[in-house]
Amino acid sequence: MSSNILTMMIGISTFLGLLGLLALIWGLRSGQFDDQEKFLEATKYDDVDSLRDAANLEERKRETIKRKSSYSPPD
Amino acid sequence: MKKIECDHCRLEFDKDLLIEEKIDGVNRYFCCKGCQGVYHLLKCEGLDEFYDRVKDTKLEPANQKYDDLQSFDLEGFKSRYIKVDENGFNTISLIIEGIHCSACVWLNEKVLHKSDGIIEAEINFTTHKAKIVWDDEVIKLSQIIEKIRSIGYNAYPYDASMQEERAEKSRKDYYTRLLVGIFATMNVMWLSIAQYAGYFSGIKQEYKSILQFYELLLATPTLFFTGWIYFRGAYFGLRNRFINMDFLVATGASLTYFYSIYAFLTKSGETYFESTIMIITFVFVGKYLEVLSKRSAVDTIDQLKATMPTEVMVINDDKKSLISVENVKVGDIVELRSGDSVVLDGELISQNGSFDESSLSGESLPILKNRSDSITSGSINLDNLIRYRVTKLYNESTFSNIISLLEESLSKKPHIEKLANQISGYFSLSILLISIATFIVWFYFSGSFEKSLIIAISVIVIACPCALGLATPMATLIGVGEGAKRGILFKEAGYLESIAKCDTLVLDKTGTLTQAKPVVVNVKNEKEFDPNILYTMVKNSNHPISKGICIYLEDHYSLAEFEDYELEEIKARGLKIKIDNKRFFGGNIEFFKTKDISYDYDSLDENNSIFIFGDKDEIFAIFYLQDRIRDNAKEVIKKFQKENFDIIMLTGDREGVAKKVSKEIGIDKYKSSLTPTDKADFIDKLHQDSKRVIMVGDGVNDALALSKSDIAIAMGSGADVSINVSDVVLLKSSIDSLWIAYKLGKKTFINIKENLALSLLYNILTIPLAVMGYVIPLVAALSMSLSSLLVVFNAFRIKRSINE
Repeated sequence: MSSNILTMMIGISTFLGLLGLLALIWGLRSGQFDDQEKFLEATKYDDVDSLRDAANLEERKRETIKRKSSYSPPD
Repeated sequence: MKKIECDHCRLEFDKDLLIEEKIDGVNRYFCCKGCQGVYHLLKCEGLDEFYDRVKDTKLEPANQKYDDLQSFDLEGFKSRYIKVDENGFNTISLIIEGIHCSACVWLNEKVLHKSDGIIEAEINFTTHKAKIVWDDEVIKLSQIIEKIRSIGYNAYPYDASMQEERAEKSRKDYYTRLLVGIFATMNVMWLSIAQYAGYFSGIKQEYKSILQFYELLLATPTLFFTGWIYFRGAYFGLRNRFINMDFLVATGASLTYFYSIYAFLTKSGETYFESTIMIITFVFVGKYLEVLSKRSAVDTIDQLKATMPTEVMVINDDKKSLISVENVKVGDIVELRSGDSVVLDGELISQNGSFDESSLSGESLPILKNRSDSITSGSINLDNLIRYRVTKLYNESTFSNIISLLEESLSKKPHIEKLANQISGYFSLSILLISIATFIVWFYFSGSFEKSLIIAISVIVIACPCALGLATPMATLIGVGEGAKRGILFKEAGYLESIAKCDTLVLDKTGTLTQAKPVVVNVKNEKEFDPNILYTMVKNSNHPISKGICIYLEDHYSLAEFEDYELEEIKARGLKIKIDNKRFFGGNIEFFKTKDISYDYDSLDENNSIFIFGDKDEIFAIFYLQDRIRDNAKEVIKKFQKENFDIIMLTGDREGVAKKVSKEIGIDKYKSSLTPTDKADFIDKLHQDSKRVIMVGDGVNDALALSKSDIAIAMGSGADVSINVSDVVLLKSSIDSLWIAYKLGKKTFINIKENLALSLLYNILTIPLAVMGYVIPLVAALSMSLSSLLVVFNAFRIKRSINE
């Protein structure tokens, strides 16, 4: 086994592990594990409906921001 | 009679009490208009799927009425609770009341998501806290709260900047650091296995360098990110001229790290990056456990203040405005709704009103006040809308005086020093000196810098008080966990240790030893009467004595309330009721002495509370009521006496009652007729006799004494203030928990001592070996983990011993 392959293999596996770690920390920081009970019951609420709700909210947020930024006070 | 569930809240009621309605061909029943309204609303909005999700969970009936909506849109409220983000959206943190199950969370989120103008709405099921982001141009906060109320819940704002949030944040921070450490440890283990296999069976330098390079990559974030906590701790320690454990860990880890970099670059000798990583991570686990066990290290005073309104409704020329309490002047007129707390001292200008002063006097009975009577801050208005004139500024009012007294005494609160910290301080210093000496001696005799450094590092690593660091947090974490399982909340893990060192137990009477709920112990019937009249009378009164009689009647008769009646409550005397144009009276002796009835009142037993029922000519019955002693109080006191505790009962009650109760429970020492400050002074006096005091209480009148004691224990059913200033809370409010709390503390303390002994013994055995150069750092790191494991397993023994 050449030393290049060894370097690459350790590098890639560590990098993949690092991605997992970063994802976990991101989830932690953005509050996805804050609510244990909701987290445990997540399967009950993870349906098309809630997805649509979330999408609607996103859409609404975008529109409101657009409206606010295009709005200029009358002189 | 057949019981039927209300179709909204699922509580059971008699069928004929319910509102019946045919909806879509099915008969539906509702307990109140509120529930009916919510049901219709959900049906219209297409949200009736809620009822499938909620299953059998019981909800609260939606019959609450509020009239404070306008106050949510006032400027003062906005500046306090609402934050505006960079997009111009408003954000508020709310606590939602009435959430019972995940379906409730679903419904609230759904309703909020459906409303225009709401950008984000997220409800935490565990804490019932909600974060809502909305566009103020589309929807107002009052409308949002109205929406939540319209489906049968209530919402009120809270200040998210409180200490609790900060504690939560630091917990998250520690967790992130721990994750990084664990990640590095897991990965470096594979690399070290390869490296050490190579060490024993031969390995080419180029492979070795690759392994070492990746180890360096893993060690760097561990040392500087995870290990940052130790550098900080060491720095603070040094600034206070104190070499602590953090310093030892920091030096050990960074010496290994920098030496390994040197070895890696010069390709000479072995690297010890894995030791760096493992030292940092293992000790960090202990630190993290400690942070976890600091259950809501909330600033008690902050919370106490948060329970009081910061703004009051001031009436100015018939205009209402919310003014912050600091700006209210003497002479201003303040309006209070039912249930509002009085924040400023003043005098009543409404005709009359009744107040709950339990937080000031411990007296649980409402007090009726007439026009121009003085009212005290800290009491709660129980009647409808009342107005009063302010006579004292906020800073001079009774309540803020109590707060500043509390602040003062909390800052002076005696803390029993922590054993482990004391030991580890000396320990760290001596280890450091030993390793320096080792280095000098080895360098002098062998002349090899590398070898001497390695041996000196081995000494630090093997002595690294991992086990010492883990000994206390592990034991206390298990102690705290076991307590929580039994409804005993230790606010800080260190209190387990403190409680074990106390020798004096001070108990409050009302609400702590007794239940503060009078029950009928004896009835003297003078004449036949219709129990339904008395039932109507007591059922509609909130007085604890009325409640006691109500329970007695319900147990002994089958009853029905009268529909038409006029009830009047007479200040500190009793009740007057008019049914079918006949008047009946119920009240204490003083009340009946004013009537033209000849009766030998002196023959009545004065040590019980007495309730007399009669009309204007005759007495029908006399009820004797007594505050019942909590179950097992006597047994628990006996157990404490066996432990040689000095037990004292304090009460604001009369001498006679105090004597009776203390005799019944078996306490020799008691003090009666005490004010809140008397109680606190008494604790001070005990301290002067160098006693270590556990104080158990429940009311606001105990808060001052609680804050002065070494360990303050509050009943979970007690006032918020006393819970806030306490170190331990007995959620079940049973006196048994008190004994368990003590036992838990004692067992934990013994366990800590065992653990400390274990880890010290281990170090005494291994340090000489390291000094003589028989141990390489890796073996040192491994054996160090072994000692940590020993300590962890020993700590689990607390679980077993407390279950016995």
